[in-house]
Amino acid sequence: MKIVVAYQWAPDPQEATVGESGTVDFSRAKPAMSDYDATAIEVGRAVASAAGASLVGVTVGGASVAQPVATKAALSRGLDEVVVVSDPAFESAGTLPVATVLAQVVQGLGDVALVIAGDTSIDNGARLLPPVLGALLGWPVLTDVQTLQFDGTAATAARTLPEGVQTLSLTGPAVIAVSADSAKPKAPGMKDVLAAGKKPVTVKSAADVGGAPAPEGVVRSTAKPSGPARKGIKIDTTDPAAAAAELLSALRAAGALS
Amino acid sequence: MADEPDFDVIVIGAGVAGTVTAYLLAQQGLSVVLIERGEAPGSKNFSGGIMYCTAMKSVFPNFLDEAPVERLIDRNEIVFLNADSWVGIDYGDRRLAKAGTAVTVLRAHVDAWLAEQAEAAGAMVMPGVKVDALLKEGSRIVGVKAGEDELRARVVVAADGVNSFIARDAGLRPKPATDQQALGVKALFKLDRAVIEDRFGLDGNRGVAYSLVGDCSQGVGGGGFVYTNKETLSVGLVLRLDDLVKKGKRSTDVFDHFLEHPLVDAMVRGGELIEYGSHLVNEGGEKMMGQIVFDGLVLVGDASGLTLNTGLTVRGMDLATGAAIAAAKGIAEAIAKGDTSATGLAAYKRELDASFVGQDMHTYAKAPHFLENERMYGQYGQLMADVLHEVFCLDTTPRKHLLPTARGVLKQSGIKLTRLGKDGMEGVRAL
Repeated sequence: MKIVVAYQWAPDPQEATVGESGTVDFSRAKPAMSDYDATAIEVGRAVASAAGASLVGVTVGGASVAQPVATKAALSRGLDEVVVVSDPAFESAGTLPVATVLAQVVQGLGDVALVIAGDTSIDNGARLLPPVLGALLGWPVLTDVQTLQFDGTAATAARTLPEGVQTLSLTGPAVIAVSADSAKPKAPGMKDVLAAGKKPVTVKSAADVGGAPAPEGVVRSTAKPSGPARKGIKIDTTDPAAAAAELLSALRAAGALS
Repeated sequence: MADEPDFDVIVIGAGVAGTVTAYLLAQQGLSVVLIERGEAPGSKNFSGGIMYCTAMKSVFPNFLDEAPVERLIDRNEIVFLNADSWVGIDYGDRRLAKAGTAVTVLRAHVDAWLAEQAEAAGAMVMPGVKVDALLKEGSRIVGVKAGEDELRARVVVAADGVNSFIARDAGLRPKPATDQQALGVKALFKLDRAVIEDRFGLDGNRGVAYSLVGDCSQGVGGGGFVYTNKETLSVGLVLRLDDLVKKGKRSTDVFDHFLEHPLVDAMVRGGELIEYGSHLVNEGGEKMMGQIVFDGLVLVGDASGLTLNTGLTVRGMDLATGAAIAAAKGIAEAIAKGDTSATGLAAYKRELDASFVGQDMHTYAKAPHFLENERMYGQYGQLMADVLHEVFCLDTTPRKHLLPTARGVLKQSGIKLTRLGKDGMEGVRAL
């Protein structure tokens, strides 16, 4: 039995720059393991170990995802093996082409009980990949999962939603999108990195997974969100108690506090 | 030995010295792990940016064609800066480009390339791991500790840079004196390639390196530099720590002042600041090297104090390469003989002393003392500008010959002729 973690080797947002017009420039950002997906691997490791399943990482991207530094970074976090679809055609590919390839790889692996992913991507943050992947596989999708247990047959997932916590049990394969606070990934140690160097890596090209990427939507423009206009209230902080009182009344006046 | 070691050699730090040592040892079939605290080799590096690359070419004959270097330096500008004047020497030489002895580099690119070469040769590259301490058995270093994990090796190579906490924390190396270290402040400005080539008169992949002294450091011992990369300029200052403290200046203020100087402003104008930071730099010269071979441990590169500032050239990467070559030879010999004690590893020091590294460190042993001369950072630049001012500022007052002009300027400056002569002789001897 296999549990798959879909992960992203993506430009590090810490190195992205935001232009005055609100455009985000990732061109100078070096790729790294997405923080959300490091969390997904941590959850996957615990679940796979408990169920006696093997944990397979799958990623899709350009040339950089197949470099040893990328595969080792993923494997050292506890995956048993990785399948990497690396092709210039998939450089910064969007949700649909990536999900299409992931679905193909998952079907090709066989005996996959769960696909776990971070519930958002670190670059675009569209939160679309898990639902699209679930739709393509014809599997149920659970988003916002904060805790996950799996005994090899049935999975129990607790979803943290605005209304409260919803706990579900399911049997049969599913796509699970875990929230950022579902685990605290720890930095891999030297022994983890050493072990990573010995684990299997399968590299596939676009041709191996059905050729050219699926079509995707065209981005017409990007702009920064137009939040509410700032009121420009300045509070004098020389007297902290007075400043706190003034802040409270300003928040009440704005309806932020009742 | 109780346990069979995990590796023949553990190298700490994937800079120039570490990657080249790892590459050369892996090439000889030894098992090598190269541990780097940054997420990727080069990501933590803050080097200024000129690599004198002849030694590197002896390791990688195709270095200039294959490595991601920036520009081939065939013009060197040495400039004395005063508040509103400057006097410089512009030395351009096509022979330099032909020989290919100096290139500008951005270490995030070059270190990554070097680590790839080490990996291709069979070394295991382990980024994102910070070594916490050396493992010791008696006086012998037997491995490293990071987090909960320990790794053992026959030889550990400390290539962990200027602070070398690894050697210092193990009590093997003293904390450097403040007059042996300087603070390097560097900014990277992005400009269009065409703008850089027009502004500096460069063609193709050629580049220019400015060494500036005087008002750029506001009288603090040290100097400034401007190096041309492909699409960026590396602009920085190196300020001697003790003098910075003594003069009560803040490095950020001195750096802002430097950027505002009319000569520097004309070079960086319109550039987008994309990186800014500071780092310690060794300035102690030969005196600073001290012991670099221990039982089971050798120090290479900045960690071994190998930096040379001659005022005209600032060298570190070439010395690191030379040290790596010597260390790889010494380590391979020691492992082959089965003696990796300090005695067994002594061949490294012998190789190093005999190489250009040891010889140049010795030749320039007096440079640090000479460069502590206050007059270098103020009076002499002003003196030169004042002489030239008398020559060029033709305001219809009658001129004098050059010699009396110079004498007059010197007299006004308050510097004695004997002092000037003595400094001149010291300079010629030290540099």
